[in-house]
Amino acid sequence: MIQVNWKQLGFACAVVGTLWACSSSNTNDPSPVTPTTSTDQAGSDRKAMLTNLADNIILPSYANFKTRLDVMVTKADAFSAKPDKATLTELRQAWVDAYTEWQKVELFDVGPAEQYTLRNFFNIYPANTTSIDEYVAAGAGTFDVPASYPKQGFPAMDYLLNGLGDTDDAIVARYTTAADAAKRLAYLKRLTAQMTSQFGTVYTAWNTGYRDTFINCTALNAGCSTSKLVNGYVLNYERYIRSGKFGIPSGAMTSGTTAPATVEAFYKKDLSLLLAKTAHQASVDFFNGKSVKTGQEGPGLKSYLNALGVKDSSTGTQLTDLINKQFNAITQQLNTLKPDLYNEVRTNNAAMVETYTQMQKITRMLKVDMTTAMSIIITYTDNDGD
Amino acid sequence: MMGIKSSVRFSVYGFRPRKAEFFTPGRSSASLPKTTNYNPFTSAAPLAVFRILFGLMLFGSIVRFWSKGWINELYIQPRHFFPFYGFEFVQPLGSYTYLLFAVCGLSALLVAIGLLYHIASISLFLSFTYIELIDKSTYLNHYYFTSMVSLLLIFLPAHAYFSVDAYRRRSLLASHIPAWCLASLKLLVALLYVYAGLAKLNSDWLVHALPLRIWLPAHNDFPIIGFLFNYAWVPYVFSWFGCLYDLSIPFLLWNARTRPLAYAAVVIFHGLTALLFPIGMFPYIMIVTALIFFSPDFHQGVIRKLSVWLALPVTFLAVHRTYQYPVFRERILLGFLSLFFLFQLLFPFRYLLYPGELFWTEEGYRFSWRVMLMEKAGYAQFTVKDDAGHQTIVNNTQFLTPLQEKMMSTQPDMLLQYAHLLRDHYRRQGFINPQVYVDSYVALNGRLGKPLVDPTTNLANEQDSFRHKPWITPFNDTIYGF
Repeated sequence: MIQVNWKQLGFACAVVGTLWACSSSNTNDPSPVTPTTSTDQAGSDRKAMLTNLADNIILPSYANFKTRLDVMVTKADAFSAKPDKATLTELRQAWVDAYTEWQKVELFDVGPAEQYTLRNFFNIYPANTTSIDEYVAAGAGTFDVPASYPKQGFPAMDYLLNGLGDTDDAIVARYTTAADAAKRLAYLKRLTAQMTSQFGTVYTAWNTGYRDTFINCTALNAGCSTSKLVNGYVLNYERYIRSGKFGIPSGAMTSGTTAPATVEAFYKKDLSLLLAKTAHQASVDFFNGKSVKTGQEGPGLKSYLNALGVKDSSTGTQLTDLINKQFNAITQQLNTLKPDLYNEVRTNNAAMVETYTQMQKITRMLKVDMTTAMSIIITYTDNDGD
Repeated sequence: MMGIKSSVRFSVYGFRPRKAEFFTPGRSSASLPKTTNYNPFTSAAPLAVFRILFGLMLFGSIVRFWSKGWINELYIQPRHFFPFYGFEFVQPLGSYTYLLFAVCGLSALLVAIGLLYHIASISLFLSFTYIELIDKSTYLNHYYFTSMVSLLLIFLPAHAYFSVDAYRRRSLLASHIPAWCLASLKLLVALLYVYAGLAKLNSDWLVHALPLRIWLPAHNDFPIIGFLFNYAWVPYVFSWFGCLYDLSIPFLLWNARTRPLAYAAVVIFHGLTALLFPIGMFPYIMIVTALIFFSPDFHQGVIRKLSVWLALPVTFLAVHRTYQYPVFRERILLGFLSLFFLFQLLFPFRYLLYPGELFWTEEGYRFSWRVMLMEKAGYAQFTVKDDAGHQTIVNNTQFLTPLQEKMMSTQPDMLLQYAHLLRDHYRRQGFINPQVYVDSYVALNGRLGKPLVDPTTNLANEQDSFRHKPWITPFNDTIYGF
């Protein structure tokens, strides 16, 4: 029987040898996929990557956002104490600053932010103005159910600060001389309190232990940091940047009919492009592992993919170069747009659709090429495979 | 199978039989040369032990599946299902699925203890197979293996020894069974391994060490040996060892001299895959299944220990009878088994009838013991429109679970099924003759993604069949080998 086994092995080796000969003799064969080099030990150290992402990107971004949010709350309190055009202008500016800063943290859909679904309490738009008015009139109402998400956060504040009248005087009047002025001020107070509370939960969790949990959960299965982070990152780009900011308003995703009123910061008008650019750039910087504190690139998705040696087999170009090239194309495309995306949809929608199309390309690369190379599954289930 | 009681005949021996004494008056022993090495009967112990372990393993799998909430997640929550071609009559059962799993789990337990074995083995096969046929997206090779083993068990006298049935009805009790009963199980296991090994004889696996070269670095944080997974040669060692392992392990297990070492390899190999890859119960099922290659003495020893533990009477074990099928029935069974194995031998090669790269088209991929051969990921965005100006981009999460979407986006037959589902849905929504197009993007074994389906094909008009699907875009690359 031993002989039979050796025959078996010999047969296998012969077949294998033939295969090898066949495939290596064909020099035009485009198939040598990723190169046969070893993975770089340092570059593929996920703990180092997670540490850099946590300490130099996520935590400082959260800290920056907290600063902006706190200022906004202070300005909102000042406005409540003395509603006039001056305090309104200051509050608006603080809101713009905080909303812009929010774009740099929305992509971290991992850990406490995922657990408490932070995004739902901050940036679900378009705001449901009818319901907001009802909540104002009632002086109460829950903020915790899905139906309440478009009644709070930055979009609701957009409506309250920019959408209640044609002039600043008219808006201020809604907080001073209107019959329900006090109720409106109370609602504004509830909104800022809710935002402070929701973000506080996530911020505190990150600073009291989750950071260590995050950097030590280095496995790549569905429950660990890298997988959650990448899933959240890709989802954010696909659904909340590509679809939310461009696909839906431009009608590229819905029957071809435009829906300009669904743009982000609809009432502020001239802010939507800045928000989109900020969100896009935050995704680019995150991919490149760029420190929020120093601007230097550190261990991140780019260095990790490079360490794995992921390349386009036919050209030898690194996948990360291809991804950054596409990121650049989108940045260029965004630069051709005017600040008010509501107007762009109505007057220059082809450019909006083109932005969506460019974003669709990067979505595929991130969702398929990047994740498959990293061996991350895009799914939120943890089922068996074979 | 109802008439089994009257159809079984026994020969009784007062002492431990030697080879020649297995031949019973039911069949002419004179016609068989006593000098032959071939023994038509074998100890019933290995099959009995296998029955117990297999039943318990399946029972454990059902409990595990249930406790993880997967019955709800995979068979109740989804709004739509992907039936297998030709098995569209298999319908999801809603909350009755729990009942189906209960029946399956109970049957597995009954098979394990050998109570009401015939009914239990039939209902185990039917319930388990029904579950697996509900939705393609849950297809796993080891579920198919389990189904096939359950099918074989229906016809094998696995309850003749050390079972509750035999305990309650001593006339059933037998220490020996026809040799082909055990051999057929061994053959199925050997076939699985060898075919899994043959499937690895391809250039991606052997020359490029794919997909292991992608999967192993993902485990570079593994305790102690993790750093090794970053070295280029390690995936090659794993690939080549895995291939040679699959091709040779049945023979090494069959041979008594190499068996201990081979079994150690089984435990290490499957243990390692269990630690590294999310493959559920499969490694454990194979570790347990490989025991059927062990000697009757080994299994007799296991049973002896078990019966001491259970305080069973000595007479229950000290039986010397041979379980025999009536000649006619045995002939029919052997005929059925021949067809079964002919099918098993040929079916995995049906892919040769299709043009194009198997890994890309997956035409003839399932039911062929192709295990862990591909890292395939995809993205499929559907557009539905009609001539009246309706047009929409489909949000897949509205129709499919994440698992279904993941499976659908890389498998052409599922893409088509989903396209038809969308066609019917949007027709009900008021679309007139909806057209369905897909923007697909699939990456296979580390190659950059590209469209899997021709984006200009209106999938609403394409029919599913066993024929080649011409709307699958060419792979434009070659993977040599099987």
